[in-house]
Amino acid sequence: MADAKAPPVERGAPAIAYALAGLGALLLLWGSYWGLMLAPKEAYMGDVQRIMYIHVPTAWNAMLALTFAFGCALAFLLRGDWKWDARLEAAMEVGVTLSLLLCMQGSIWAKPTWGVWWDWDPRLTTTAVMVFAFSGILALRRFVDDPVKRAVWSSVAAIVAYVDVPIVYFSVKWWNSLHQMQSTPQTVSSAFHWPLRINAFGILFLMFGLISLRARLATLRLQSELGPPSPKPVAQYVPAGATGDTR
Amino acid sequence: MHLAAALHKDVLLQWRGRAQVVAIFVFGATSLLLFSFAIGPDSAALRQHAAGFIWLALLLSSTLTLADSFHSEMEERALEGLLLLPVSPGALYYGKALANWAQLSFLGICLVPVMVVLYDAFTTRFLGLVGIILLGSAGLSAPGTLYAAMTSQARAKQTLLPLLLFPIVVPVLLASVKATSLLILGDPMGQIRSWALLLVSFDLICWSLSGLLFGRVVED
Amino acid sequence: MSGTGVIEGGWEFVVAAYAVSAIILIGYAVSINIRYRAERARRKREAERAAEGIA
Repeated sequence: MADAKAPPVERGAPAIAYALAGLGALLLLWGSYWGLMLAPKEAYMGDVQRIMYIHVPTAWNAMLALTFAFGCALAFLLRGDWKWDARLEAAMEVGVTLSLLLCMQGSIWAKPTWGVWWDWDPRLTTTAVMVFAFSGILALRRFVDDPVKRAVWSSVAAIVAYVDVPIVYFSVKWWNSLHQMQSTPQTVSSAFHWPLRINAFGILFLMFGLISLRARLATLRLQSELGPPSPKPVAQYVPAGATGDTR
Repeated sequence: MHLAAALHKDVLLQWRGRAQVVAIFVFGATSLLLFSFAIGPDSAALRQHAAGFIWLALLLSSTLTLADSFHSEMEERALEGLLLLPVSPGALYYGKALANWAQLSFLGICLVPVMVVLYDAFTTRFLGLVGIILLGSAGLSAPGTLYAAMTSQARAKQTLLPLLLFPIVVPVLLASVKATSLLILGDPMGQIRSWALLLVSFDLICWSLSGLLFGRVVED
Repeated sequence: MSGTGVIEGGWEFVVAAYAVSAIILIGYAVSINIRYRAERARRKREAERAAEGIA
């Protein structure tokens, strides 16, 4: 299946990755400034609402990263091209980081709104499950030495984990609805759209810059594992004691 | 046919290792006892949480069952030998998964009397309880067998299996606990059916997906 | 929360949320960068050592 030929790595500094990340960071600064300083106060939640300008974009992009990971897993299983394994590793790591951030933001938002740090909100709980599921797959990658097995197994596990996400969401939603009537803000009125969109693109570009750079790192490591062994110094090729002396 | 032969092999392996099953049952029963210490000697509270505890005990016991299920395949490179046979990997998977399902269901049913005694959690709807145990165990067995196949070949296998399995089976845990709780405490609004339906959907999706993917997991 | 249903203040939570986001995003970006450069340096050293060995 997977032809154990090392993936080629692009020469030179990853300029595009840095450019994307830089652009993303700038957009984030702009969007956050707008959201924090210029946007009007929300009717019921006051200033706490401003957390949404970073929370909602993080949510969209975390989901996007893990969806991309799912795509990479499928691509690797169907095509066997190593670059998909590198991208899978990168997308999962970035996705886990964003999801973890999402849980922290959600918790910080929950305290002033509902008075508790955690309230089993379906979206937040599903995100926590996603963090655990995909961290587990990253851990799996560390404990498997054979690169082919590592790639196949993490692709399989990523597919199972991703397919499970909607099921987890619906079961928690159902389970929670019997206990509480909490509501998370579903709609955001138009006065608040711009900072949200800017931050969304900000995190999007930053995310793709990070995935690109992380994938390069994974590719370099794969090269070391799959490439031909480096030649040894000449002296090591001459067996000890063989001097060619026949006297 | 192939599936019957694979199933026969796995059931035979489990029968030969039945001392292990007794040990796993003792582990599950001990867990049930220990969980009660988390609540304290409050009979009403214990009864309310009995469903959660029995499913946690079964979940923890399942890691032992599943990890052990590939033990014989790892010895003497038996797995490679099996794959050389003209049998589809799917048959191997379903044979193993069905045998694991049987063992987990058996464990679950054996833990019920322990739960009844320790938590005063009796139910007259015994058939319903057996049904939920069967559905829940199926939900644990399908992904569990797939991940056991992977982790039995990796390092740190004892840690990896629960790490991979537990997040995936959250819906099984939720639905089984809820349904069992309704059976024990009463179900005035007839919600058990919905939870059972959730379990059935999860089982259908998992059993088909895992069967499809198993071949890639064990190939060389 | 006040009686009118409006949450007063709460700026410390807003600041906390943005600060956490910045720390994690910047920290992670820096971490990838460091690991990437370390890996490239390592490969360069190996390539040089191999080249010396042949020569």
